[in-house]
Amino acid sequence: MAIDFYWRLPTHGCHSSLRTHDYDRGDWSPLRPGNIAPGPASDGGADQFAYIDHLSQIAKAAEGAGFLGGLIPSFPGTEDPWVISSLLARETSTFRFMLAFQPGFGNPVHSARAAASLQRLSGGRALFNIITGGGGPSQLWWGDSFSHDDRYGRTREWLDVFRGVWGGGSFDYDGRFYQVENAGLAPLLANEEFPEMWFSGSSDAALEVAARHADYYLSWLEPFDQLADKFDRVKERTARLGGEQKCAIRVDLVARPTEEEAWREVQIGFENVSEERRRTRTRGTDSVGAARQDALRPADATRYDDLIVAPNLWGGFNLLRGGPALGIVGSYEQCAERLDELIALGADGFILAGTPHLEEAWRVGEEVLPLLGQSGVALLQAAE
Amino acid sequence: MTISAYWELDPAAEPQRFEPLAGRQLPGIVKSQRGPALNRFDYYAQVGSAAAQAGFSGLFIRHREEADESRVIAAAVAREVPGIVLVPEFPASVGSAVYAAKQAVSFQRSTRNRLGWAIAAAEGAADRRRSGDYIGADDLGERLEEFLTVARGVHAAQPFTFEGRHFAVKDGGFADPLNRADFPQVFLQGEDEEDLEYSARQADVHLFRASALADVSRQVETLDGLGKRTGRPVAYGLLQPVVARPFADEAQRHAERIGAPAEALVGSYDEVAARLADLAGVGISHFVFRSLPSLEEAYLVGQHVLPRLRARLSTLRVAA
Ligand SMILES: Cc1cc2nc3c(=O)[nH]c(=O)nc-3n(C[C@H](O)[C@H](O)[C@H](O)COP(=O)(O)O)c2cc1C
Repeated sequence: MAIDFYWRLPTHGCHSSLRTHDYDRGDWSPLRPGNIAPGPASDGGADQFAYIDHLSQIAKAAEGAGFLGGLIPSFPGTEDPWVISSLLARETSTFRFMLAFQPGFGNPVHSARAAASLQRLSGGRALFNIITGGGGPSQLWWGDSFSHDDRYGRTREWLDVFRGVWGGGSFDYDGRFYQVENAGLAPLLANEEFPEMWFSGSSDAALEVAARHADYYLSWLEPFDQLADKFDRVKERTARLGGEQKCAIRVDLVARPTEEEAWREVQIGFENVSEERRRTRTRGTDSVGAARQDALRPADATRYDDLIVAPNLWGGFNLLRGGPALGIVGSYEQCAERLDELIALGADGFILAGTPHLEEAWRVGEEVLPLLGQSGVALLQAAE
Repeated sequence: MTISAYWELDPAAEPQRFEPLAGRQLPGIVKSQRGPALNRFDYYAQVGSAAAQAGFSGLFIRHREEADESRVIAAAVAREVPGIVLVPEFPASVGSAVYAAKQAVSFQRSTRNRLGWAIAAAEGAADRRRSGDYIGADDLGERLEEFLTVARGVHAAQPFTFEGRHFAVKDGGFADPLNRADFPQVFLQGEDEEDLEYSARQADVHLFRASALADVSRQVETLDGLGKRTGRPVAYGLLQPVVARPFADEAQRHAERIGAPAEALVGSYDEVAARLADLAGVGISHFVFRSLPSLEEAYLVGQHVLPRLRARLSTLRVAA
């Protein structure tokens, strides 16, 4: 059984190293010598490159290095996934665009039409990471005041309608959040492949919707036994509805020729984090997934190795960049072994990432992916 | 007066071009390598390139329920075609105003501020229900106004708070660097008194349907009057079908073949340019031209009509 490997497009700028915290790719930090996309021009202003030019480089590296495509996250301060995908579709050839999208933000019929257009434009390379938002101030920032469980109700109805109109025909729906009458994509758009749905969310409400609509249930990395348990629950729920649930993991890697070099990256990065930042915890969110990540991080960690939660697993990534806490740190072989273990416990797909995203796409593609399926775990599993 | 000339791309009009399985099939005697590597998006890009190379300032992309989504087309074309502005038309029912504004910002940042926004005229009740849009006819204007107020608001200020009947935001607004992009120029349309009132308050450009010079002139005056009350400048534009050829009879023949609408300007290059100069004379500064086939006609209008129109306008300016 082949496993899906995706990369990630960082939509909030990128760092040239995990050791520093300034974004020196993109314009999220002040323009300085050495900055990329945009860089400084001789007149002191910015050169002709925009951040999209760097994203294009990452997408091309990912397709060159053997990834199927990349996840495109969406937060208040980021570029937008629909725009990025539409901009880059024609200059990439195999890269699949996984758009993070909160369904509540788009009319489902209009979104289906836009998605079908994107499928035509890209030759069927669009798919979605359906997210439902973390509540709190950020949700109100987006103009959304729905409660946690109502948001999931809306997500579910949105997916019902999106799917209902997809192939054309005449679709009626009378839900709590959405109604349509005699709807269906027009013949010009009705022959596109339905985009795969990767679904995120750790709460009960999330698992409920996932069982019905998710091709892949996507989780951040969690301690392995905890994750195995979560995947089992998701798979069981979907099995009860008569389906088979695939699961996937979104995880950062620090992969180096030796384990020592990998930990050195993390150590220097950790030591460059201010005391203040180290002590802030995620606030103002109703996300169950975020709480599960936050639980991993002792606020009083003073050394990077206080945050090693298992061999090659480090719980401090959210100190070094935005996003979840837990990631994999190790030699190429160790990274491959950990991924093999995750495959053995039920992962059918991965969204990997590393900083800087451009160079690490090549590194992971050339050094880690080729080692997969050769470790003891994988051989043992194959023998069973 | 300087004019802005846009070429119109109607994604529903020629969906067969570049599509290997649509349109006329080649007989077996013709060795063919057409395949799924090409599709109608190649045509959109080619029309966009035509508009850029033939001297238009932008490509105006129609909203068509039965065809590809205009903002997806706009992005695909923008990345490939430098220089021109892309003006996708879409309805105010697309969803969250904050989300739409954020998409606009991302487009602007990636294309050096080459986006315009044309809000499509609202459809009839049955069509709106087909699109999942269930608000009442009486609320459409209010929704349009809130949509633009919120989209502009989150772009202009942080924190931005708004509590309307259709949209609500709390402590919103784009942070640096997203707030450095320009907000797209907003094009509204419509002929009713109410449409003109919304435009006086919200449009950067109001697009009128093409009609006789006297009618256009009257409508421009009405909107001028409303604009004086709100005190904000609105430019006037025209959605203008056009068929121009070296000789008027050739234009007439093509107009009949494609079934050009009654309001089309049909004539020799000089005649058409003269009529357009008259329209510019009553205050029209934005022209959205269209004809079919959109590729070939973009070249005819761009190469032969626009230079004549510009020459006339600069002569007028010198004379004045
Ligand atoms: C793999 C993964 C990717 C996510 N990506 C995004 C994202 O791009 N934007 C966003 O606002 N939230 C993102 N989220 C968070 C979800 O929107 C949501 O806040 C979270 O899953 C809360 O749901 P829960 O309470 O069911 O866990 C992501 C979550 C996961 C697990």
